[in-house]
Amino acid sequence: MQRKLSELGFGDTGVVAGIKKSRHDLNCMGVRVGKKLKMITKQPIKGPVVVLIGEAEVAMGLELAEEVMIDVSEPV
Amino acid sequence: MGLSEDERWALIDEISRQTVKSGGYKQTLGDVLGELTVKPLTGIPVAIGVLYAFWSIFGSFAGALMTDGFMVKFFDRYLLPWIQGMWPDPGTWLYFIFVGDPVADNCFEAFGVLTSGLFVAIGVVLPAVLIFYLMMTVLEDSGYLPRLAVLMDTFLHKIGLHGYAIVPTILGLGCNVPAVTATRILETRKQRFIMMTLLAIFVPCGAQIGIMLKAIPDTIGWVFLYLLIGYGIFGFVLNKVIPGSNPEILIDVPPYHLPAWENVAKKMWNRTKGFLKEAVPFVLFGVLIVNLLYLGGVIQWLSDALAPLFVYWFGVPKETTGPLIAAFLRKDLAVAQLAVIPMTAYQMISSVVLVSIYFPCVATFVVMLKEGWKELVAAVGVLICVVFLYGGLIHLIGILLGVA
Amino acid sequence: MEGNPGGDAGNGSTVLLIGNPNVGKSMLFNRLTGVNAVVSNYPGTTVDFTRGTLIMHKKTYEIIDVPGTYSLEAKDLAEEVAIKMLNEHRDGVVVVVLDATLIERGMYLLFEVIERGFSLVVALNMMDVAHDKQIAVDARRLQQILGVPVVPMTAISGEGVKDLIDILRKACVTDVMGIKSRLSGDAAETPAISGCTGCGRC
Repeated sequence: MQRKLSELGFGDTGVVAGIKKSRHDLNCMGVRVGKKLKMITKQPIKGPVVVLIGEAEVAMGLELAEEVMIDVSEPV
Repeated sequence: MGLSEDERWALIDEISRQTVKSGGYKQTLGDVLGELTVKPLTGIPVAIGVLYAFWSIFGSFAGALMTDGFMVKFFDRYLLPWIQGMWPDPGTWLYFIFVGDPVADNCFEAFGVLTSGLFVAIGVVLPAVLIFYLMMTVLEDSGYLPRLAVLMDTFLHKIGLHGYAIVPTILGLGCNVPAVTATRILETRKQRFIMMTLLAIFVPCGAQIGIMLKAIPDTIGWVFLYLLIGYGIFGFVLNKVIPGSNPEILIDVPPYHLPAWENVAKKMWNRTKGFLKEAVPFVLFGVLIVNLLYLGGVIQWLSDALAPLFVYWFGVPKETTGPLIAAFLRKDLAVAQLAVIPMTAYQMISSVVLVSIYFPCVATFVVMLKEGWKELVAAVGVLICVVFLYGGLIHLIGILLGVA
Repeated sequence: MEGNPGGDAGNGSTVLLIGNPNVGKSMLFNRLTGVNAVVSNYPGTTVDFTRGTLIMHKKTYEIIDVPGTYSLEAKDLAEEVAIKMLNEHRDGVVVVVLDATLIERGMYLLFEVIERGFSLVVALNMMDVAHDKQIAVDARRLQQILGVPVVPMTAISGEGVKDLIDILRKACVTDVMGIKSRLSGDAAETPAISGCTGCGRC
């Protein structure tokens, strides 16, 4: 099952299944298809999200997070 | 030559597969702290604490210890009398430009290039810059800054900036000069322009806040409230009207580590050196220009011409015009001068807010000029509009409340 | 275009430090240079960079700390400046600084530098953090695959910095074809074009 990264809850994990628009910037930060990630925090009132991907923590705006599709079906 | 992005990543994955063995993610103490300080529930109180600590260290070191404790004494007791004694013929215009007022007993009021100019640059701004750079470097090297940026992004992104805009904003509360330079941390020209304009208008500097605390201790809360609301409103408006992009935050949140002091010291020294070389000559030059304007009678003329505006539009007494014009050189001094003019409490709030929002001090002005004259001209344009609208609005609110 | 074949830094006594943000680049810079470093504004931009000098083995190197960047696509100011600086110093030596805990991320930039034909050295920084996080990086294998010197180091404690300085002279050019073939295993061959026979066995 796929969900938008922006819809994940605290502590949820999943695998990046696809990135809709511009992948380059996200790729360079380590957010790439096939990588496992974990949601660390979502800031209130449409603030940015912080995810742990590989060994890195990355913060991104909510609109960017909507571009990232996460496969949450398999347990990580 | 010319691999595609995907080919590069494929190669990278293969190299990484052959060379890197990870023992699985292991949470360290630093990681736990890292998460706690970026989650809103725990992170926001920590952020407030950090900002408060930052602020009080700055106030006590730069303000009390260096500027008031040492620099003021040095400049007023030794340098000023010495220059006044050394320079021949107090009546000449050269004397006026370089030394200023022959009977002044402090460097605030002398207004000469070599007295007030040097004092502002070395005595006030330099200690502020030093201590700020020190603390900024520590925040940076420890890895806290990105977390603060994440927490602040929620608010700042809505006014066209992003989380890192907190850096120039904090710096601006100390001195707008390094703050303008720090706007470079933002990505697009639009963001830098919004930040610079908001800084110049709505962020009062440390010297100003100090004087406000002394002159209007009871109403300073109102002044800050007006400034904060203005920062929000005009940031929002500027974001809507200025063309250009406002990219979302996408940053690395590195793990915490202890800063290496050697590195901190070196970084700080490099930055300070840069400041001395770039900003100080400009500050001196700015004072020179203002003095020439005084000599040419331009300031007096402005003061007379603008008096009706102040009285009818902003609702403040006409005596405030002088200090407001002088605020171009020293905003803190202007606040001090305002404090002795008889007026109602609300007029006082209005005029102090006006001093804060209207022209940045001459030093800020010149560093803004260095960042680009087009931006400066545009910022001044915005500033004039904002002063009119906001000053009028505050007057209107006062009328509606029946206190103006 | 071919950089400086052979095991020396040629006449290019300029060393450019390049890498992602937060990889300890400025720390390494401070370790390499003396007190004479200066921060300047890249002409016509608002991007700051730092330069300083390193005197080693009777040779003076000019060290330039290129603004931290993730790629060379000229998407923002820092990247534009990084590209301009690289172009201005085509005969210089590039030190690509990688974070040992985040190698994949840094290698994207590394490949862009490789593809541009620069003479380079890889500084594998943050080995201490990698150790703490139980991440093992096989620097020798990495060196063998890449065909350029790879120096494991920890700039914050100074470990490995001297090795890096010593190896600057052995910086060399590598190419993607060679990397591909060595990666797939059919590589008893030495790096082809660059003629940098010293590499892989340093």
